[in-house]
Amino acid sequence: MLMSSTAGHAAGNVDAGRKLFGQCAACHAVGKTAGHQFGPMLNGVMERPAASADGYSYSDALKQAAQNGLVWDEPSLDAFLESPMTYVVGTKMAFAGMRDEAQRQDMIAFLQQIDSSGSGATATVEPPAANSLVSESSAPEAQRPLARDTTVPEHGVLHLGRLALPEEVAAWDIDIRPDGLGLPTGSGSVETGGQIYDAQCAVCHGVFGEGAGRWPVLAGGFDTLSDERPEKTIGSYWPYVSTVYDYVRRAMPFGNARSLSDDDVYALTAYLLYLNDQVSEDFTLSTDNFASITLPNVDNFIADDRMEEVHYASREEPCMQDCIPGEATVTQRARVLDVTPDNGDDDNAGGGID
Amino acid sequence: MADSSDISPVSSARRIALKAGLKLGALAGGAGLVGAGQVSAAATPDPLITEVQDWNRYLGDGVDANPYGKPSVHESDAVRRTVSWLTADNKSSINFTPLHKLDGIITPNGLCFERHHGGVADIAPGDHRLMINGLVETPLVFTMEDLERFPRESHVYFLECAANSGMEWRGAQLNGCQFTHGMVHNVMYTGVKLKHLLAEAGVSPRGKWLLPEGADPSHMTRSIPIDKAMDDCMVVFRMNGEALRPEQGYPLRLVVPGWEGNMWVKWLRRLEIGDQPWHHREETSKYTDLLADGTARRFTWTMDVKSIITNPSPQSPIRHGRGRTVLTGLAWSGHGTVKRVDVSIDGGRNWSTARLDGPTLAKSLHRFYYEFDWDGSELFLQSRAIDEQRQVQPTKDALRAERGVNSIYHNNGIQTWHIRPDGSAENVEVS
Repeated sequence: MLMSSTAGHAAGNVDAGRKLFGQCAACHAVGKTAGHQFGPMLNGVMERPAASADGYSYSDALKQAAQNGLVWDEPSLDAFLESPMTYVVGTKMAFAGMRDEAQRQDMIAFLQQIDSSGSGATATVEPPAANSLVSESSAPEAQRPLARDTTVPEHGVLHLGRLALPEEVAAWDIDIRPDGLGLPTGSGSVETGGQIYDAQCAVCHGVFGEGAGRWPVLAGGFDTLSDERPEKTIGSYWPYVSTVYDYVRRAMPFGNARSLSDDDVYALTAYLLYLNDQVSEDFTLSTDNFASITLPNVDNFIADDRMEEVHYASREEPCMQDCIPGEATVTQRARVLDVTPDNGDDDNAGGGID
Repeated sequence: MADSSDISPVSSARRIALKAGLKLGALAGGAGLVGAGQVSAAATPDPLITEVQDWNRYLGDGVDANPYGKPSVHESDAVRRTVSWLTADNKSSINFTPLHKLDGIITPNGLCFERHHGGVADIAPGDHRLMINGLVETPLVFTMEDLERFPRESHVYFLECAANSGMEWRGAQLNGCQFTHGMVHNVMYTGVKLKHLLAEAGVSPRGKWLLPEGADPSHMTRSIPIDKAMDDCMVVFRMNGEALRPEQGYPLRLVVPGWEGNMWVKWLRRLEIGDQPWHHREETSKYTDLLADGTARRFTWTMDVKSIITNPSPQSPIRHGRGRTVLTGLAWSGHGTVKRVDVSIDGGRNWSTARLDGPTLAKSLHRFYYEFDWDGSELFLQSRAIDEQRQVQPTKDALRAERGVNSIYHNNGIQTWHIRPDGSAENVEVS
């Protein structure tokens, strides 16, 4: 319980490392219920030989490094975290690396204090004393001044809330529409986008946007929408390029949202258009030419017309007796497909929730 | 500790009871053989009745053993469960409500299914802000304390993920209603009608669309027509009387009654008014319904009429043998109330109208029961709901004929459970 952030460990700060781990959490899990995800579970990783967590399929490169004696300790983890793909050439961990030495030390300090049971992964919070009548958390609230506003606002009906300042609206209003409303001023090239993509996106989405594991496929899939297994990508399915810019800006990279500059997002959007054969490799996307880009599938979206389907539109009183001739016979069984979690065969199923 | 208690007289009485219980269970299986007018009797007196049990004698926990109460230890299987292969990782993932473990219409807070796109945001209520901006007279910022000064209302609504039953488009796949239909829950929400908040900011006559946005790392956004926003949408901070659970958007979420769950933005931090929809990722790349010809429906917001038999079902087989049997399930419609539920035990040949029980509330789950004498032969159970607009729940084949099998979303087709003579149940499709 009285775990020091530094005692007996690397020089870094455990809490800072825990925050930084958000970047890793897209692929790696730690904690008492952690298992392997896209990357191996990292409980107790310090001082253990590389590629030694049971049940994870490591790259040949890392297995070879382990045979050559690689053990995860402070120096080796520091070097690996700085540039995984040069320290272990051929590793599956397509993470660009953590350039900042202090950040690496924080990360190592965080990983070091997680034992093999996963203890230490989450911050320890002292529970409130169960028997105290006044819980500690309510005390500061009671001491707060009751009336903080001295001015009476005149807006609206009930005069509740306060004016949002322009800086506040600017900080949160980041949405982009197909007509370009909301687009920030800037630009980015396919070339720059490719560098950012390789460093920050390829680990999940694949080097060519083909998707790794179950992560989304971003490119290709043209003319597959009426196939048995359609591939819905930016190029084959998405109607508007503004959606790419908006989504990358608000939610990517996974685990490190809002970390990209406006120009980074222009560059990534340009690169994703390039991966989908929509622009050439020397293209630069900018505020000025954004509206000139149209995606191929834009005209294939229709309004909701479910109520015109035969079974709804007919409004027939449903049959109650002798509705289908003969006895019911089974045409399909769940167990044949064998994909219920109870059956222990979870990994080869079709279908999904998207 | 375990060794010493093992030789206590109470414990040995318990062991006898256990053995006797097994015998009684075997007898009960043959109860159907007893003739009419007779009452079956146990062969030997039941030690659970004749012996004094631990819980009859020794004192249990006092008050405050659990300052926040939890379910009985005997209910440890009434939990949400996930299907790991459905998603790439557990931060942007889904789990399922154990519908077969519940009764009535209200879902307990801890069992409401989860769907996150960037994990559960941890927000102290004092640090939370709600902004209204865009086409309004006065862009505003509210604290949670501000929101509690608006007139409050409580309403029971179902929330169903548009992808609920989405794994069943190509045919029977998952064996249990928790997995086929468990992306739905039903909660009494307390909060403020959105129209009151928007009135404070003053919506411009040009304002036709609303964009809610979350504070989590996905910064979830959806476009909602202003008419819906002004009609029954709410901004809520309580569920079933207590504060929202973190995984349900604590401290603030949007409620969009009858419409797909993805629009009910959690950790709600901003409402923007605009004159056109935004066409963001969750309404273009996702939550659009691909049809067989390659076109796709968009803005398919309403959850259509649907029902599911929760018991018996693959996770809840018939254990009592033939004789009196209670069949129960849930029905709902995003168009309003459910007017009727029919049940078939022969795979849709013949139908009987089930008994709706409990409150019949618009855009809420409804509970139905159908009690019958099972003769021990195989059954093909189906349920069919009809809503207040007289829309009838379609068969899966009717949906496939109209849409193909790649829609992912809005599968409200009739489900079939096959009951075998031994009482076990399986997810099947029948001709």
